[in-house]
Amino acid sequence: MGPARSSGVGSGNSGAYATEIAESLRFEEEIHSIVHPGLDSPPAAGGSFTALLGLPANQAVELLHETGPSEAPGSAAAPSPTGELWRLRLGEHAAGPLHLPLGCSPTFPSNVALVERAARFSVFAAEDSPALSSGGGPSPRLKAEPPDSDSPPTLLIPAEKTQRLAKRKECEKSKAKGPAKKSKSAEENTAAAAKETAAENTDGEKLPYVHVRARRGQATDSHSLAERARREKINARMKLLQELVPGCSKITGTALVLDEIINHVQSLQRQVEFLSMRLAAVNPRIDFGGLDSFLSAECGPLATANGRGGVALDPALWSSHPVTANGARWLPQPQIRHVDVWPTQQSSTAWTRDGAAHPHALLNPGAALFGYDPASSVSLNSNQLKTEL
Amino acid sequence: MQVTRAFKQAFLERMLLGFRATDVSSKSMSFQEKKSFIKLSADVAIAVARGSRKWTRGLIASVSKEQQKRLLPRVIPRKQYERLMKPCSSNSWKIPRSKKILRKSLRVSSTRRKKKLCAVEKRTRVLRRLVPGGESLSGFSLLDETLDYVLSLRAQVGLMQSLLMTCEASKRRAHELKCTSPETKASTVGNRGRCGMRTVVVKAEKQFSLLKKEF
Repeated sequence: MGPARSSGVGSGNSGAYATEIAESLRFEEEIHSIVHPGLDSPPAAGGSFTALLGLPANQAVELLHETGPSEAPGSAAAPSPTGELWRLRLGEHAAGPLHLPLGCSPTFPSNVALVERAARFSVFAAEDSPALSSGGGPSPRLKAEPPDSDSPPTLLIPAEKTQRLAKRKECEKSKAKGPAKKSKSAEENTAAAAKETAAENTDGEKLPYVHVRARRGQATDSHSLAERARREKINARMKLLQELVPGCSKITGTALVLDEIINHVQSLQRQVEFLSMRLAAVNPRIDFGGLDSFLSAECGPLATANGRGGVALDPALWSSHPVTANGARWLPQPQIRHVDVWPTQQSSTAWTRDGAAHPHALLNPGAALFGYDPASSVSLNSNQLKTEL
Repeated sequence: MQVTRAFKQAFLERMLLGFRATDVSSKSMSFQEKKSFIKLSADVAIAVARGSRKWTRGLIASVSKEQQKRLLPRVIPRKQYERLMKPCSSNSWKIPRSKKILRKSLRVSSTRRKKKLCAVEKRTRVLRRLVPGGESLSGFSLLDETLDYVLSLRAQVGLMQSLLMTCEASKRRAHELKCTSPETKASTVGNRGRCGMRTVVVKAEKQFSLLKKEF
């Protein structure tokens, strides 16, 4: 049923969405309990929605209204554009067509509006925002067909909705295949924001199950859906790479961006070679044996360290050094994803310029920083003396 | 991936370990050999520090092929090597298959969008050659691995640059002191001796402080 499915979605999604999914579950249960306390749930998806349909209009409106504002604190955790959209939507629709059914009693127009809204909300429900009528969401997929068939002449279900509903059924069936797809809304004014959140969600996290809704007027077979999802994934990655490679964000077109990426990778590899050559030139003068003994003295033998981060170094040792002007520049900045700390070759000239200044600035602090005990310094002395003096 | 402090620390230490294992400081090596060993140490260090990714496995595989397992057991501890290279076997069976299917579908669709695909395809091929272990990667994972690889390359370049600078700076300092020390010969020998030792110690400390400050 809806909760079960949503919980499947929730468990599939990353932990960040867990709270939203949990809240959506709570809302669903709320709606269930309010709307139809006695309904059993074998095709329990249908229960809440048909119950909603059966409700007099104003009660359903109130329901939706009250879950709206109460959802606001929950949506604070969700990405804000989606949350605001929700509230917007509710405001619009509460103000608009729903006033109509309040006067007149027929359920159908209100049902249309309800169905529309429920359908639209279910789009977001499958994503990460707290699902308002997610109880209504799963149900339209299964039970919308009977109500539609019940009252075909009077129900003004827009073509897009049936298209969406049909797609949702397909999506659910093909969910077993488990491709990662992304939800999109068919509405124009929500499409952009939904796309943003969709892109946001694909960025940076690999979600095993993300549900896709096909956009309006696009092919609905599973192949094209899968292709579109794949293309979107690739485009997201390309965008990330564009941000990473300097000077790439202005370029449009995959081929040129790939060109830049290739150039960047080649230049980095050439830099590594060049630096290793220079290190080889400089190396004979410095005895790295001394450095290694220092390392092992300070932090224990590295050979026994396990894991890639398994350094026996005391982090406090590293962080205890006072920050000089040089150090301030070189200390790692907050670890935003894909922003790296090391300046690229463009700033290498700056480095060499300051390189002369460093030894003088740090010569004295360097002695104070380590708090050497005389014993280790003496051992170092003997090593260093071998090569230098 | 994030370039964290621990990552850089691990990279630096493994690189220095690699230097020691390959004995680059000895006088008996040719320049080319030294350079290749330094590069080897740096590459292996960055791969091991990064962990288990497709490009790291490809990199270590190519290095071991090159070196014919002469030096690698010394440069990388056995346990980590096993852990790094182990999970590869399960994936490698699937990947060529998916690549075949991809190629087929691309060929089919290429008739429709010939121009665009050709340009992109060429560059994808070049990128596959550049990124280690990229031959068997699909489009999406290729981009993913490229992203990771670029970040690690940047970290590698930055760290090697700073290492180089500290070495050169300390060398320069030593040279200056050597030049100035004859002037102080008139003063007590003990004084000079103490100065020399102190400056050497200070120099070593400075090297490490510079390096550690970057972390």
